[in-house]
Amino acid sequence: MTEILRLDVEAAVSELRASGDSARGFLGLDPVTQNDSLLAAELQAVAAQLFSAGEALVGFAPNTDQPRQAYVASTSADPEPLRALLEFLTTYQRCTTFVAVVPADAEGGKAFEACGFERAGVLPQHRWQNYDWQDVLVYVGRADSCRS
Amino acid sequence: MRLRGYRRGDAHLLAGPWLPGELLGLPMIDWPMLAEPTTVPAPTDPSQELCIASGLGFVRYTELDWVHRRARVEIGLHALHSLDVLLKTVVAHGFLTLNLSRLYGWVTPVLDPPTGLLGDVGFQREATLPESAWLDGRPVDREIWGVVRND
Repeated sequence: MTEILRLDVEAAVSELRASGDSARGFLGLDPVTQNDSLLAAELQAVAAQLFSAGEALVGFAPNTDQPRQAYVASTSADPEPLRALLEFLTTYQRCTTFVAVVPADAEGGKAFEACGFERAGVLPQHRWQNYDWQDVLVYVGRADSCRS
Repeated sequence: MRLRGYRRGDAHLLAGPWLPGELLGLPMIDWPMLAEPTTVPAPTDPSQELCIASGLGFVRYTELDWVHRRARVEIGLHALHSLDVLLKTVVAHGFLTLNLSRLYGWVTPVLDPPTGLLGDVGFQREATLPESAWLDGRPVDREIWGVVRND
């Protein structure tokens, strides 16, 4: 089981910055175009918590309309850090469903598929990146099927 | 129909019996007596655009993102007439006045909203999120509907 370590806001911002391209679209953030104070303000606005797991960075933001659901994100294609985060959310936040909003070519998408998330839809032209519009994929997972 | 800016005298239009965050918030008939009405805060910063449709309710462009040129739309209505004209005005205001490229919002199918009217102004269902809102003591599914400007 991968260990995940909770980061405070300052550490989370510097980890996001260090992740570079793989963190673009992480919980809707973009460390390439946003500066540190904006990243910190956005993280606090959605009450996000970030965790480091070795090289990878995972995080979640609660759904304010449904306390048993969380938005999750990962910078790595490796499913193990994500599995550790889902285990934590299920056990300690009592989440039953998870939503991931991932740019179409992001690394993190593979981790969600490997963890048993299902594609719930596509948001067309949701992001502007590298001088072009980019679609965003929506994945949903359930606590009873995604942890193992 | 025109959307105008918010004034202090419009405060009574910002609260009502709608599900929070709904793209097309129509008054719910069986709103529980003891439940607080859903309230949208008066604008305090430029991260959102709050407009008033006179005599009908509010239209709020929130999560405004000027890099990706998109906004999430919330509408809360007290009266139900001229919905089609209002929706046309909402899309035109977003695309032409705010110069956005994409509008989206949450639709809760269990409330049986008039999705045909949303389709008429270009909105399409893009994703279905299970158990994404809380209603009547249980989680209900929500959908994301969006419209993209073609130019």
